[in-house]
Amino acid sequence: MLLLSQSGKRFLRFCWIPLGLCLGFFTLLFAGSFGAAEIHSVDVLQSLSFHLFGIGESLGLKDRIIMELRLPRVLLAFVAGAGLSVAGSVLQTVTRNPLADPYLFGISSGASFGAVVVLTLLGQGVLSSHGVGWIGLPLGAFIGAGLSVFIVLSMCGNDVGRQVERMLLSGVAVSFMFGALSSLLLYFSSPQAAASVLFWSLGSFAKATWSGLMLPVIVVISCTGIILLFKRQIIAMKMGDETAHTLGINVSLLRLGMLSVCSVITAVLVASCGGIGFVGLMIPHIVRLLFPGQLSLMLTAMLGGIFMIWIDVLARTLLSYQELPVGIITAVIGSTFFLFVLRRRHQEA
Amino acid sequence: MTQQDKTVLSVHALHWQINDKPILADIHFNLQEGQVLGIIGPNGAGKSSLLRCLYRYFKPTSGHIQLFNQNMTALSSRAFAQKVAVVLQDTPQHFDMTTRQLVALGLTPHKGVFDSHTELDDAVIDQALYKVGLTEKGAQVFESLSGGEKQRALIARAIVQDPQLLILDEPTNHLDIRYQIQILELLRSLKISVIISIHDLNLASALCDSLVLLEKGHLIAQGSPNQVLTEATISSVFDVCCEVHSHPQHGKPLICYFYGYDNDLSCNHDKGNHHLNVTT
Repeated sequence: MLLLSQSGKRFLRFCWIPLGLCLGFFTLLFAGSFGAAEIHSVDVLQSLSFHLFGIGESLGLKDRIIMELRLPRVLLAFVAGAGLSVAGSVLQTVTRNPLADPYLFGISSGASFGAVVVLTLLGQGVLSSHGVGWIGLPLGAFIGAGLSVFIVLSMCGNDVGRQVERMLLSGVAVSFMFGALSSLLLYFSSPQAAASVLFWSLGSFAKATWSGLMLPVIVVISCTGIILLFKRQIIAMKMGDETAHTLGINVSLLRLGMLSVCSVITAVLVASCGGIGFVGLMIPHIVRLLFPGQLSLMLTAMLGGIFMIWIDVLARTLLSYQELPVGIITAVIGSTFFLFVLRRRHQEA
Repeated sequence: MTQQDKTVLSVHALHWQINDKPILADIHFNLQEGQVLGIIGPNGAGKSSLLRCLYRYFKPTSGHIQLFNQNMTALSSRAFAQKVAVVLQDTPQHFDMTTRQLVALGLTPHKGVFDSHTELDDAVIDQALYKVGLTEKGAQVFESLSGGEKQRALIARAIVQDPQLLILDEPTNHLDIRYQIQILELLRSLKISVIISIHDLNLASALCDSLVLLEKGHLIAQGSPNQVLTEATISSVFDVCCEVHSHPQHGKPLICYFYGYDNDLSCNHDKGNHHLNVTT
């Protein structure tokens, strides 16, 4: 372990933020250059400078591709990655469960159920060109996610000692319940609807628009702000419920509050880009390996966002004729990584 | 003890029961400022339950607990944590903090949502680490410390919390005798009021100002070690035979236990014939 003076350590910690911002900016430029149309990072920079500062001139069609397709997509990927990572990190800390992730409490199956209801019962296919489907699907997913969170929260109770256990178990039960309902609906629906649901549930940023970006950005930023205000209390929860209590923390209330905040982030993200797994599990573990003992939320958010942008780049470029759902790539990388972490922990023990 | 002594904590008619099963019944005692109060009793006597009532983890079924002549339940969680620090026995698994990060947690009740970590906080943490003799170990991972060092780190965390009352649940458990004495003398040197639950009666006798003896949730005796630790109470509460001497160094009770309980368990308290009929 590096032996640094306290001020040195603090300096190093602050270094990460500008470093991360630079990395984020360059990621934005590079990620904007990948895709079906031939666009260079310089074009992205030029287009950005034209729109933000009025310097240079418009690139015509390229400009429209960059501003209307690529940029919202890259930003949505960043917001989704950042939000899921922060939610995962906080949930792992307040439940003291290294396996916790944003979908632990049945949110993804609740959201899937909502999406399935919209697609099958209300008959709005994902590929319909009416535009209504694009409002209906996220709304249905959000309502489904909210419903599952509500059920889990109402099961938790106020008993500090058994709260985590009840949370986890009711989350599993809710997951299975909504999973079964979704399967039932899909069983009686058309193959196209089933395919649409599958594609949606694996996650994609392809449908990102500036207007669709508003809600996720606002929610992720404000929820992360709330979490930052309670950072000390969240870290103190690592000591165990009883010690956290003696440090002046209302343990059950804080845990329920943080679960709610993380659920809002997750529900909004699931509704806007589908169920992207493993990011919320993996990124917090990586940050913890880099910075043991701390809760580096900004770093977690930055790393999660940048990671997600590159995953989306992979999703766009791995196959030349079509896009892969991002959920598949994160799950492959995530599960491999997770086995690696488990192995490491096993060796340490 | 003079009349000017301030009462830190006073407990009146405390009852606590769970599912109609009484765990604590009619407990009452006072703690004067700057004193070390030891809570003793056999396993299952209710020592930890009593402490949990004192630091508000359990809500008493009935009775009053006053902290600085103020009803304890009237305080907010945060205000309470600013006055009372608690050191518990267990630390959770997968605990990846360094010693310094752990000690810094003591700041939690003193920080509002917008307060940041200042240079002064660092100085407070440094001082606490110095007090418990862990200055060199600040950067080490807490899990890698020895049992005695862990206990001292937890006490440093409590020092940073800057309490007027410190409650410790079995702080000397699992420590060898050197560390047991070190921990208790460290607590005495802090010059704050302390309540500890403790197993070792000789240690309690040597280093506590007053004792509270519990058995099956009832208060059996309280007062100075000389008043509480008599041959008769020890044999009836702990079910062992002993002889109480005066310690050659400090004059407080020194307890010698007798061995050989396979046979009859009745103690003979006549002077000169203390032991059981084991030699026969």
